[in-house]
Amino acid sequence: MTGCRGDGRAVIRVMVVDDHPMWRDGVARDLGERGFEVVATAVDGAAALRIVAAVRPDVVLMDLHFGADGPSGAETTRCLIDSWPHVKVLVLSASGAHADVLAAVQAGASGYLMKSAPLDELVDAVRRTAEGDAVFTAGLAGLLLGEYRRIARGRQNDVPQLTERETEVLRRVATGHTARQIADALVISHRTVENHVQSTLRKLQLHNRVELARYAIEHGLTQ
Amino acid sequence: MPAATDIMTPLWRGVVLFRAITAVFAIAAITVHHHGFARPDLGWAVLAGIAVWTVATCLAYSHDRTRQTLVIVIDLLVTLALMGSSALVLSTEQLTEVAHRTPLLTTVWASGPVVAVAVHAGRVAGAMFGVAVAVVDVWVRGFFSIDLARDAILLVGTGFVLGLAATAARRAGEQLRRAARAEAAATERERLARSVHDSVVQVLARMRARSGQLDGEAGELARLAGEQEIALRYLFSTTTPGATGEQDLANAVQRLASPRVEVSVPATAVLLPAADVDELVAVVREALANTARHGGPEAKSWVLVEDLDDEVVLSVRDDGPGVDSRQLVGAQYDGRMGVSRSIRGRVADLGATLTLDTGPGRGTEWEVRLVRARHGVAR
Repeated sequence: MTGCRGDGRAVIRVMVVDDHPMWRDGVARDLGERGFEVVATAVDGAAALRIVAAVRPDVVLMDLHFGADGPSGAETTRCLIDSWPHVKVLVLSASGAHADVLAAVQAGASGYLMKSAPLDELVDAVRRTAEGDAVFTAGLAGLLLGEYRRIARGRQNDVPQLTERETEVLRRVATGHTARQIADALVISHRTVENHVQSTLRKLQLHNRVELARYAIEHGLTQ
Repeated sequence: MPAATDIMTPLWRGVVLFRAITAVFAIAAITVHHHGFARPDLGWAVLAGIAVWTVATCLAYSHDRTRQTLVIVIDLLVTLALMGSSALVLSTEQLTEVAHRTPLLTTVWASGPVVAVAVHAGRVAGAMFGVAVAVVDVWVRGFFSIDLARDAILLVGTGFVLGLAATAARRAGEQLRRAARAEAAATERERLARSVHDSVVQVLARMRARSGQLDGEAGELARLAGEQEIALRYLFSTTTPGATGEQDLANAVQRLASPRVEVSVPATAVLLPAADVDELVAVVREALANTARHGGPEAKSWVLVEDLDDEVVLSVRDDGPGVDSRQLVGAQYDGRMGVSRSIRGRVADLGATLTLDTGPGRGTEWEVRLVRARHGVAR
């Protein structure tokens, strides 16, 4: 299914989910011009879930606000990743609605980018997402730091915690240091920085899944 | 002012009901006692007067438009006149006999205006009308006794207490109305925010995203549009209401975001006393202004807000040229880092600690740590 470019690298298949037509078509066109294959666009989460099986994207670019009822961006993200574990979700949001962004990331999104980010940044982010990296902005690092503190506040012992090193890395990401700068400052490899960042995200996603399962069992939602 | 009227309506209904019931009582009393009257004919006329005036005032007090001070004052005068006519109608025995006291023609009906004015104008007016009725009562009898004193106290007390209650009810109604208005405004603001977010912000964000690929005037316009995008995005962001006098530092700092300034905050509110929030925002502003002055045109800044429960940490970093720490001593200090004095002053006033980390080619990073006052940790 996956096509190939002249240089032998697989073409990245992208699905754009956004209820704003200007964005949906604009981003699709931009990414098409940069060598991505935009296999589908969808107006909301429900539409995305209906067509994902047919178009099999590598990366889903997900807006968080859909005008109509139906699943939210976070719910859509969870459903997508539950059914299609190899699909990566990159949140592209215009709002500063932190709670929504956090919910989507906890639901399994690989990263988050503001809609106003320049095209080069978007292209780079889609590429890194497809490769399995987490796309971290300063804003997302700040949200994660806050979230770890929130769940640690007066709760049981089995909540995930950041190691000292991970806290250090997140704080540096949140104050605008690049991965290169962080690696140099902490005298670790670029890859180790990436791993720390990934690990902070994965722990939170896992915790979120455990919490959901616990909630389901406590409230008799399982068979 | 529908809400305030609504809250007073039951009280006025009570006034009307009271008037009607006491009128029945007064009419019954006249019927029972008319044998002993010095002027029975005039007694029947007063009975008719009480009936007519009861209907008139009940109608007047049933409508918002006629619940007026003038109407109530006339009510008092008519009632006192009917009450005073007892001096002509009742026989001397009926007026002065203490053991089997015959009531005045108006009996408890006379307290109608006292009740009405208390509801309309509050405790002072209520008590004053009570005094007026009590004085006429004593004047008609021509003497003062323990019974008359008790009546006077009941009249004045009723006017006073009912006035208090009416004023309290009116205030509660006013507060309810204000709360309803605030809620309506908040709902409307949310609706506006959604609408602006779904339309204008989307378009501006797109322009900002494209500004890098556009040249000349078009690029400049797109960049300007991008600045408006950030401004709009945070203009409508709602502040989480905290305990009295507390504000959300995260929300306040977020308003300083721009294409050159990226702000990172937790998803939950970082509540601090409002004055502290103002000072911390001022510190961030100065640090950002410093970067704008000395960091060069390409310098970017990042602001991070962290809530560690016991303390709040605020970091402001730029990727400008930085300063050689050796240059911080001497002339350079005043010119280049002069602003740091003002920042240091503010931080010291707050009782917070300040760390400055800078060096050639490393940018500048300020870190402010503010220990939360114990009573402020309301979680």
